[in-house]
Amino acid sequence: MSDVENAKGKHLDEITLLLYVERQLERDAAQEVSLHTQTCTRCLTLLRALDRESRLLTRSMVEQDEPLPARLAEFHDKVKKSMQWIWGLVFGLAVLGVYALYSTYIEPWQQRLNDAGFGGSNLVSLLVFQGAFWKGWQSMVTLVEFVAFACAAAFGLFAVRRYLRRGAALAVMFASLGLVVALATPAAAAEFRKADSVRIEKDQVIKGDLFVTSESIHMLGTVDGDFYAASKDVEVSGHVTGDVLCACQSLRISGQVDGNIRNLSNNLTITGEIGRSVSSFTETFSLDRNGKIGHSLASFSQSLTVDGTLGRDLLAFFHDGSIAGSVGGEVLAKGGSLNIGDSASIGGKTVFEGDNSPEVASGAKLGSPVEFKKWEHRSHMERRGGYYVWKVIWAAAWILFGLILMSLMPLFAKETVKSAENYGASFGLGVLVFFGVFIAACLACITIVGLLVGISTLFLWMVTLFSSYIVVGAVIGRWLLGREDELWPLVGRMALGVVLIKIGTAIPHLGFWVMLAVWIWGMGAVSLAVYRRLQPVIAPNIPSGPQPPAGTPLPPNTTVGGI
Amino acid sequence: MPGITEPKDLIVRARAGDTQAWGDLYRDYAPAMFRFCRRALPSKEDAEDATMEIFMKLREKLAQFDTSRSFTAWLYKVAANHCWDMLRRRKARHEKDAEDVDELPLEAPEPNQLEKLIEERTGEEVRKALDRLGARARMALVMRYYSDMSYDEIADALGVRRPFVGVVLLRARHELRQALTENSALAVGGAR
Repeated sequence: MSDVENAKGKHLDEITLLLYVERQLERDAAQEVSLHTQTCTRCLTLLRALDRESRLLTRSMVEQDEPLPARLAEFHDKVKKSMQWIWGLVFGLAVLGVYALYSTYIEPWQQRLNDAGFGGSNLVSLLVFQGAFWKGWQSMVTLVEFVAFACAAAFGLFAVRRYLRRGAALAVMFASLGLVVALATPAAAAEFRKADSVRIEKDQVIKGDLFVTSESIHMLGTVDGDFYAASKDVEVSGHVTGDVLCACQSLRISGQVDGNIRNLSNNLTITGEIGRSVSSFTETFSLDRNGKIGHSLASFSQSLTVDGTLGRDLLAFFHDGSIAGSVGGEVLAKGGSLNIGDSASIGGKTVFEGDNSPEVASGAKLGSPVEFKKWEHRSHMERRGGYYVWKVIWAAAWILFGLILMSLMPLFAKETVKSAENYGASFGLGVLVFFGVFIAACLACITIVGLLVGISTLFLWMVTLFSSYIVVGAVIGRWLLGREDELWPLVGRMALGVVLIKIGTAIPHLGFWVMLAVWIWGMGAVSLAVYRRLQPVIAPNIPSGPQPPAGTPLPPNTTVGGI
Repeated sequence: MPGITEPKDLIVRARAGDTQAWGDLYRDYAPAMFRFCRRALPSKEDAEDATMEIFMKLREKLAQFDTSRSFTAWLYKVAANHCWDMLRRRKARHEKDAEDVDELPLEAPEPNQLEKLIEERTGEEVRKALDRLGARARMALVMRYYSDMSYDEIADALGVRRPFVGVVLLRARHELRQALTENSALAVGGAR
């Protein structure tokens, strides 16, 4: 029968057969198909195949192959559920760790920074160093803050509404914030000078900020604003009513500066008068006998000499330090050795931490006896119990940090863990990011223009560094407990991995190398995941129809082009 | 939805703001909705997001639901529209979909070979092959063979004319067969 039909070339279209199977044909058309398939074996076979295909599709679709994810199962009543005790413990330890970190390090430093003139009333102010580096931008700060927060809030709401879990939303938020800050234009007028040698004459008055780049700079006149200098040698003999910001080999202040000094140089010598505070990173710092600093001094140097007058506190890190002048407030110093001379006068208490006890001359006038804390160079075998307690607290803090990150960005977390399992690429990229990005960011920070970019990059670098524990922890957990992509099992694996890493880093001699490997591996994995995210998605290129089996001729009238 | 009778009482209570009724509705329908989204969307995370968003949307739209009609069918319609919107937005960003070639004729399969292809495939293989399909093809198959939506409903959701639905489904089947064949070839190649 079928041979007869084939010879006539009257096979039915596939679409007609499909519509028949799907019961979508009109009664007359359906009857025609029914009659035809009673006599045509080929069409009958195709009809049956299509019907079986329909049933296969339905069966495949309705099969319950995976349970409802935990996130969905808890969706409607998760807020009512109490936190499990283990997370309560972890949370408690983490809070303790954060508080200890704040009270031990951040708060004292914040106080010192405030004293040194870096005081900021809020986070954005701190970010842009309000009142210190960007004093000339003062009038813009309020607007920048407002716009930045408005943008952050708008993007935040947008992200939370639908895409809270996506890293891209966070990136947009940070990018917009950065853009808003970066696009702000300075409100004050500024003058720029660039030459082999720049000399501001004594009778010259410059209104507004002055930016100078030169081989040597001699400022004898008056700058009614801030003075920015990048040079080999800088001497300020004149009068600066604002701040001095300087990156040079040698800086000498013999004139008067009403504001602050921020300095990065080999040598800094002050013989003149500074109205406010000095922050300095130098090899040699010297406050001459005639020199005077109205507020505080924060110094990081090889050698420190304070023979002049300091109105408030001294915060210093050095190898060799000497105080023979007057300090109105406290002295907090850390270093190799400290000498307090006969003519020294210190109003507040003096605390010195170092290798050698300070030498204090009998004639020195001190507000209270010097408190000396000798540095203890403990061997690994002499670690106290507190060390291990801190290890536990920090491990809990990492786990909490990981929990937050994974909850916020579950898909990205999985992608990152997957990238970490690409060992060669992760380590390779990790070496590049760990060393290269850090060096590049530091270099960017040196230049005034690149400061914001440098700080932002360093911030991201730090976040990636901290995240590396979580990524590597999750991979180790998956090695031990098996692969699992659900959020909570993955968090559990991460927690186990982090604990093991913490144990690994506590091993004497080996610990440092374990930590370094974790940093490099984890940073590489995060970078690789970000890189992959940024690649364009390519849709599978599926042809519209199947390839005919080799050597099998197909009937010419089985197309759907005419429908 | 097999095994679930129309929850008229729950709907009335949920409309009145009864949170317990909402919880019950969610508990009864979330697994099926998640499975629908899982079949229709490319990743599990997308499906989780979509399921939650559908139920949030449901909360807003429940007042519009006509209780004389099937709640399940209505729910699937909401889900289908939501998933298709998601896919279309994504397609606009990333994809050059294979739908450009809609006008090309399809060559009919050799019946015996099609029989053999179907006979040898498991549900898991079909689900894996679904991942390789274009958005519209995938969506059409899920609407038809998972939620048993009518041709009119599919036409409405996909924004195509009703007579075109059969062609869309046929093209989707062709894409699926191609994906099944390629996956099978890959598996054989990988095993060597």
